[in-house]
Amino acid sequence: MTVGRGGRGRRRGTALAAAGLAAAVLVTGCAQGDPGEEPMRYLSLAWQTQSIEANRRLVQEWNREHPDAPVEYVQGSWDNVNDQLVTAFEGGDPPDIIHNESPTLTSFEYRNYLADLGDDLPADVRADIGDAAWDTVTIDGRVVGVPLLQEPQVLIANADILRESGVRIPTVEEPWTWDEFEAAARELTVPGERHAVAWPLSSPTNRVLNLALNFGGEFFRVAEDGTVTVEVGPREREVLERIHRQLYTDRTADPQAVGMSGSDPLPAFFAGQYAMVQGGVYTRQQVVEQAPDGFDWVMLPPLVGDVPDQGATSQTLSVAAGSPHEADAAAFVAFMAEPDNQVDLALGDWLTPTSQEALASPELTTNENEWDVAVHAAGNLRSAPYLQVPGFDEFKNRVSEPLLQEYFGDRISLDELARRMEEEGDAVMARYADEG
Amino acid sequence: MTLTSASPPPTEAAPPRPRPRARRPDRSAYALLLPALMPVVLFSIAPLVYGMFLAFTDARAGRDVDTSLVFLENFGHLLDDVQFWSSFRIGLVWAVTVTLLQYAAGMGLALLLNQNLRLRWLARTLALFPWAMPPVIIGLMWRLVYHPDAGVLNAALTDLGLISQNIDWLNDFGWALPAVVVVGVWTGMPQTTIVLLAGLQNVSRDLGEAARVDGAGPWRRFTGVTLPQLRSVTVAIMSLNFVWNMNEFALVYVLTQGGPGGMTRLPMLYAYEEAFRYGFFGYASAMGVAIVIVVLAVLGFYLRRQLKEAEA
Repeated sequence: MTVGRGGRGRRRGTALAAAGLAAAVLVTGCAQGDPGEEPMRYLSLAWQTQSIEANRRLVQEWNREHPDAPVEYVQGSWDNVNDQLVTAFEGGDPPDIIHNESPTLTSFEYRNYLADLGDDLPADVRADIGDAAWDTVTIDGRVVGVPLLQEPQVLIANADILRESGVRIPTVEEPWTWDEFEAAARELTVPGERHAVAWPLSSPTNRVLNLALNFGGEFFRVAEDGTVTVEVGPREREVLERIHRQLYTDRTADPQAVGMSGSDPLPAFFAGQYAMVQGGVYTRQQVVEQAPDGFDWVMLPPLVGDVPDQGATSQTLSVAAGSPHEADAAAFVAFMAEPDNQVDLALGDWLTPTSQEALASPELTTNENEWDVAVHAAGNLRSAPYLQVPGFDEFKNRVSEPLLQEYFGDRISLDELARRMEEEGDAVMARYADEG
Repeated sequence: MTLTSASPPPTEAAPPRPRPRARRPDRSAYALLLPALMPVVLFSIAPLVYGMFLAFTDARAGRDVDTSLVFLENFGHLLDDVQFWSSFRIGLVWAVTVTLLQYAAGMGLALLLNQNLRLRWLARTLALFPWAMPPVIIGLMWRLVYHPDAGVLNAALTDLGLISQNIDWLNDFGWALPAVVVVGVWTGMPQTTIVLLAGLQNVSRDLGEAARVDGAGPWRRFTGVTLPQLRSVTVAIMSLNFVWNMNEFALVYVLTQGGPGGMTRLPMLYAYEEAFRYGFFGYASAMGVAIVIVVLAVLGFYLRRQLKEAEA
């Protein structure tokens, strides 16, 4: 985008050229008409059919009740939403209501893109959503979004294999500790035939950082003066080391699965090649939809380390700073956060809602599709320190994702991982400290 | 005397062809050029100059963010930026390998298509095929080819008994770059082939015949007769391909997004991330400028050497 190279025969760097063109058009000012008159745009990242349906239905409902503040549903995608938003904001034409996840909100807040919703939300919405969830979206005292859905990390197991092996089946009251999990994994592995567990770790950062709280691993230290440093000490290393041990020492986890993302290991799981698959609670949806007839599965409650805590990553709705509809947009966000609507969204996405009332609703307390286990797991979620760090997005993409991939690919040692993560992470943090 | 000195000496008038018409362009020519120049200035030169200007500022994304001139600071940071240089190294490896392989493969195909084959018209058309496809489509297509479970490549290799376990080509640290290079070569082959084919058709067959009579085999005829005559075509297509490959973006963005672990993060991809993901516009512009300088330097060196050899 920096230097346009004209006159090339092929459509190389189309995106760059397009960006340049967009910039030129925006400079000359393409906004026609009064933006205050147009409907609010809601950029939604829903992608599962049920979830898109739920979102569209709620938008329709809102439009029926508020003909003076209509909302237009705009479909986005998790794959490129952050690039899209940066260009939209820089062009001065962002969507009014933005669906995203809490780890990226810090970078947006750092750029002053998001409106502070602290005073715009009705008291009942504020009270209904738990404090731990609010912590995931509160940066320097500013509420830059409303947390709606969360994703506890669990294990989904093949119930037949579990029963046959005779290992203790963990319950909500008495979950597995990591030690028990590792011992059970050894029982469940049949060399050459079956691995106990598949860890799909193609984008490992959020998962590992959230699980690390089991042993108090926080990865970031914020000093009194606001300086952020990365720290990979014994507490941070615990979960890393345990996963690595399963992969390359115990050989209870399949190294082939490490490069996979979310639902990729499911076909092999259905075929009995894995006894368990690690994933977020939403993985249930694909299991329910894709499992062959008669496949008996069970969702195991989250593992417990020194503590049962897990880091929370929330899906959020935010309002663009400077939106001509700020108050209406906040009202729409509050509408989406109402307990009944959160239940709809949660059912659509197979994630747990943040509303206390929604968590207690009969649809989510049933044992059908293991909703009760998911909802119970939501109780262990708390805000991880990384959510407060400007530059986390860059740290994740540039430092931790590649390094963790190398570590779980057994290409570097834990010591090297720790050393490089601290060095390279501190360098990234310094960029944001300079200019903040 | 005065008259003769005023009229041009007869020797100067000797060449029969008329002097080239007025070198000074007519003023009305500017007016005619204007409509054509406007879009060039507006859409090509202005963004270029603006981009170069940004390289000397600390411009970053954000509302109400002040931008100030920092002069060479960005370039200073760039010199210490290990990640940028490693990305640059990957870019060079990529550009050089892809360019050489494109040339080799394109030459093979061009030689074949230069023969009197049956259905040559069809083969020539098919060879152009990849050219007609947008890079994003090519990327999506090859992602399917490389798919670890459902891809044809793994299926074929398994059937042949060459591999026992599926390889995740685009996510494997060792395979990702070679896998992407193959796609790059495939994509760039048509134009290399066409240019070389055009060159081959200008190679005089008589020389080849003469060499054959002198007892030169096919390989000797190729290296001794055909190749030297293709020199200017070779220099042109290699330089263009190198620049194109160095600036490749869309293909790799679709295939790997620079992963795994930055193994395929070409410099352009890196600059794009810097600007549009992390919002450091000034620094990203500095990267763009640095890339241009290095590409020009490499190109200058290559062209000079080629021209020297041609003179020798």
